[in-house]
Amino acid sequence: MTTAAVASLIVGLIIGYLGQRSRMCFVGGIRDFILVRDTFLLKGLIAFGLVAWIAFPIAEQLAGNLSTLDASLDTTTLIFTLVGGLGVGYLSVLANGCPFRQHVLAGQGIMSSVTYLAGFYVGAVIFHLVVLPLLLRIS
Amino acid sequence: MAATELKHWVANRPRAKVRVTGLQTGIVMALLAVIVGTFFAVRPPEAYGICMACHGRDLINSLLNSNIGTRLTVSQASLVFPLLTTVGVVIGAGIGAVSSGEFKRRTPDNPVRTFIYGVLVMNFALLAAGCSIRLLLRFAHGELLGFLGFGGMVLGVVTATYWLQWRAQR
Repeated sequence: MTTAAVASLIVGLIIGYLGQRSRMCFVGGIRDFILVRDTFLLKGLIAFGLVAWIAFPIAEQLAGNLSTLDASLDTTTLIFTLVGGLGVGYLSVLANGCPFRQHVLAGQGIMSSVTYLAGFYVGAVIFHLVVLPLLLRIS
Repeated sequence: MAATELKHWVANRPRAKVRVTGLQTGIVMALLAVIVGTFFAVRPPEAYGICMACHGRDLINSLLNSNIGTRLTVSQASLVFPLLTTVGVVIGAGIGAVSSGEFKRRTPDNPVRTFIYGVLVMNFALLAAGCSIRLLLRFAHGELLGFLGFGGMVLGVVTATYWLQWRAQR
């Protein structure tokens, strides 16, 4: 299992470097296209989706472990996923970049993104201590 | 004398400005996400190769769990040792910025608001079980929930962009 940690660190280093050089952002592509018809980042977003879509079945064939899809499809999960996606998209535009872009900017010395990341990690703890138990009680 | 010369050289050394396009980054990120997810044990859950929110959650929660004895949720892939994607991204971006002379400390103009954005984006991302990257990754993996989450995200981005445009034009 430490394999995963080492592999993820290496992947992080590579995509962090590339993300800094290309200013890649997963909400910025759509935003830039709407505002100024710029497709630089949008191409990256579409390419990510297409390449992953083609690579998944090939990789799973090679590894010999076919994954199972959609374990739970109850109404709560459907609503959570839709609302969560909406919130991530809407707020990431207001915050000036997706979480990935904010990590890159933080590494670049932008203190605003460092503050964002502080909120981001505190947010994870808040979610598991307060928000999720509360939501599960309501639903 | 040698020290001042060295300082001068460090300040003015030729910078390698490597140019990378969004398209190239997207392709490499997708391949890496699929490869670590399938061959390097970054699973379960499925389609977990790259996710800034979930991997960040795993990191902070397992740090707290092992240091102050909490029992916060950690994904199975991070049980033994937390995934370090987020740490890698910050360091990798730092290397890219320093090597190209783009590293610059800039103070935030509204720290309270950015902090709250951070809290909110993390909460919504964990609710959907994925940041913008993983929602697309799950969609590409063929999950209905991925499609729903990614669709919601696109809708959110479009709404917010038009709202900002409308506010700027008023």
